[in-house]
Amino acid sequence: MKYPLTITVNEEVYELEVPANRTLLDVIREECGLTGTKQGCGNGECGACTVLLDGEPVNACLVLALQANGKRVVTVEGLSEGEKLHPIQEVFIAHGAIQCGFCTPGMVLSTKALLDKNPHPQELEIREALTGNLCRCTGYQKIVEAILSLKA
Amino acid sequence: MDKYHVVGHSLPQIDGRERASGAAEFVSDMKLPGMLYGRILRSPHPHARIRHIDTSKARRLPGVKAVVTVQDTPQIPFGPRTDDWMIMALDKVRFVGDEVAGVAAVDEDTAEEALSLIQVEYEPLPAVFDPLEAMKPGAPLIHDKERNIVSEFKLAKGDVEKAFQESDVVHSDRYYTNQVYQAYLEPMACVVQPDLAGKLTFFISTQIPSMTRLPYAKALGLPLEKVRVVVPYYGGAFGAKMETNLHLVAAVLAQKTRKPVRMVNPREEDFMAGNPRVPMYIDLKIGAKKGGTLMGKEVRVIGAAGGRVVYSMVIVATACYRPDSLYHFQNLKTEGVTVYTNTVPTSCFRGFGNAQMTFAIESSLDMIAEAIGMDPAELRIKNGLKTGEVSIHGWKIGSSGLAECVRKAVEASGWQEKRGQKRFARGIGLACCNHVSGNRAFAREFDGGAGIVRISREGKVLVYHGESDMGQGQKTIFAQIVAEELGISLDQIEVAPVDTDISPFGMGSFATRGTVFGGNGVKAAAADAKRQILELAAEMLEANPKDLEIKEGKIFVQGSPEKSLPFQKVAELGLYKRGGAPIVGTGFWVPDTVIPDPVTKFGNISPAYPFACQICEAEVDTETGQVNLLNYVAAHDVGRAINPQTTEGQIQGGVAQGIGWALTENMVTEKGKVLNPNFRDYVIPGPLDLPPIKPILVEPGEPNGPFGAKGIGEPALNPAPAAVANAIYNAIGVRFTELPITPEKILKGLKEKK
Repeated sequence: MKYPLTITVNEEVYELEVPANRTLLDVIREECGLTGTKQGCGNGECGACTVLLDGEPVNACLVLALQANGKRVVTVEGLSEGEKLHPIQEVFIAHGAIQCGFCTPGMVLSTKALLDKNPHPQELEIREALTGNLCRCTGYQKIVEAILSLKA
Repeated sequence: MDKYHVVGHSLPQIDGRERASGAAEFVSDMKLPGMLYGRILRSPHPHARIRHIDTSKARRLPGVKAVVTVQDTPQIPFGPRTDDWMIMALDKVRFVGDEVAGVAAVDEDTAEEALSLIQVEYEPLPAVFDPLEAMKPGAPLIHDKERNIVSEFKLAKGDVEKAFQESDVVHSDRYYTNQVYQAYLEPMACVVQPDLAGKLTFFISTQIPSMTRLPYAKALGLPLEKVRVVVPYYGGAFGAKMETNLHLVAAVLAQKTRKPVRMVNPREEDFMAGNPRVPMYIDLKIGAKKGGTLMGKEVRVIGAAGGRVVYSMVIVATACYRPDSLYHFQNLKTEGVTVYTNTVPTSCFRGFGNAQMTFAIESSLDMIAEAIGMDPAELRIKNGLKTGEVSIHGWKIGSSGLAECVRKAVEASGWQEKRGQKRFARGIGLACCNHVSGNRAFAREFDGGAGIVRISREGKVLVYHGESDMGQGQKTIFAQIVAEELGISLDQIEVAPVDTDISPFGMGSFATRGTVFGGNGVKAAAADAKRQILELAAEMLEANPKDLEIKEGKIFVQGSPEKSLPFQKVAELGLYKRGGAPIVGTGFWVPDTVIPDPVTKFGNISPAYPFACQICEAEVDTETGQVNLLNYVAAHDVGRAINPQTTEGQIQGGVAQGIGWALTENMVTEKGKVLNPNFRDYVIPGPLDLPPIKPILVEPGEPNGPFGAKGIGEPALNPAPAAVANAIYNAIGVRFTELPITPEKILKGLKEKK
């Protein structure tokens, strides 16, 4: 049994039919074909699937696709404009905040959610905002330094 | 001295844009036409005979395209080091998670449902989980052998008994380094694609693209040329991503369905059937004179292999003798035993046995320093190997920055001042390590590096290598080395993905060998390409190629830079002159390292040895047992940092993993079953759990390294658990010899101390 789903992802409207148990993460990666959003655990524990849902950071693996009906989703692909990367992405690169890159899309979106609310966060506020995003490569320090370097 | 234009500079990663934008296609993102989705049915028992497998119901589920068992394979025993693997279980399962059957279906949900329809009749057998138990006569036998012992390592030098008698202080302890999980963010994954001629292309997250073809071809009963490996972007490894049955079950399904099959471990399965660290019991006895000279060392290591051998026996061997070349030990008695257990097969994790042994040695040296009233930093400097020395096992230390690492770490951390203070429940601890940059003993065939460098008409350079970038920044390091060698800028370099049909045969990324071996390989290839470019330029400039140099993309006679030719122009004109043939440079580098003598273990196994000193400051909450790390300094002898920023990132990441191991990470098991196969209950450090980590780069220059570089990957982690344990000891006077050092253990320790 499939249900109608209308979601806007990175300003593009998708009209789909999905089963009730399909997650937003699956829809983003499969139906929308946007694989920048990653699956790291499927349990909402690692944050690799972080997207913005009506501006709020969520673990897409824990959101049923139908819960996002009529809502706006922003994924990492929606941050860059063609060749031009978002300033958050630029500072991540400049500061060596990316190693394997698997956590990066989620980190970048959690960062955007933070900066949208708090354009000049202190280090502790940054670390708190990123507690939902695990990274195993970097030890987080260069990620934090990258974000601190943004004068918003 | 900033004599290099590209090497030594903190340039951004050449694939940073792809990773930052989400454009980089990781293995688990790949989609090929007609692709099916695979899953594995795994054993729920730690040890059981398989009586019967009925796949009929599963095969009938709509959307299922194939269900396979070992009957669909040639049933050839194989393995990375021993022939104790089967692609799927033949007669027995030997650990919870062992592969029993595979399913390929039109989507993941259908594949998962099919698993529940496969009926397996098991006859549970007695199981054994601890290596100490598994070693005993009468223990349940896991493989068709007389006992569960996989291998033994023995080594003796000098006279340890005499050394202990002559010592003023002898410290003895048993250490336990627990089983921890690499916790890379992208689970193990693969896409295996068949072609009409029966060739299989493995798109896999693998650290060993060339090496892995051998056991895979053997297992599948295929000639080697039918196995191709391509390495896309992948999300971390830290040692875990070597051979795995995940790839082979997918291959069997691909053969059966004649379609590409993608298989990604659900996270829970990756915990259960990944390749976690070898847990070890380490009995360590060290004798020292009161002046600080280390006299002798006796050590016994017992490590658990799990249900089959991945690399555990090499890891136990490494634990047994690697720190013998960190300090001047003249008298040694060493024994190592690797034992089968009915647990998940254990394997490589950053440090490879040296991490486990470093915890033990650096903890014991801390106690010895206290017993003789010597500064732990001075004790390390006094006994550490120096540049030009040869260790007791014949390891030639081409460069050692150990003493400088200790001094710089001591200075940066406020060590003297803080050791002198008596601060309640606050302490500071120090630990050092050595490591290798490549290990000749790892594979019989060779150790070396090779590269191919192809220059296009536009003067762009494409670099081929055979190693593996798991996120450590290897591609950029290779690109920087090639750019420097050619005298052009980094933005002209592209590094090709490894494809074993095209790329050189690389041993792979392990043993911290990438920068030295892969780096020297691509450097040699670039030098060959440069020679060809200069020959062409010499004709155009009417000069002798020997008199030419390339600087910032311009080729000119030394001393006459005003009359130059652009690199691109020479490449273009050269191509036209040669009938369209691009300039292709090939090169290789093979050091004069040796496989050690099988009995004496003597022999120089690595061309370069990195060293490090880390200092940790900790505060213990004596009410809750929580440890709060205040500061961390990590000074690393890297020869020369090709990219300082990347090297710092590696240090910070390695320290973070070491801290997790020291304080919070533990694979909790009961009767062989992992009880915490998720990130909620297996706790890796998050952004609020780490202190500021200050990396210090010590660059003495390594004669065998490309532009003087040595490796960083594993030494970044090795000292951390002991640095933390030593800080805790300094804070509360309780010595912890078992990892992880949890709040419960701390509270218990404090109580017992009273």
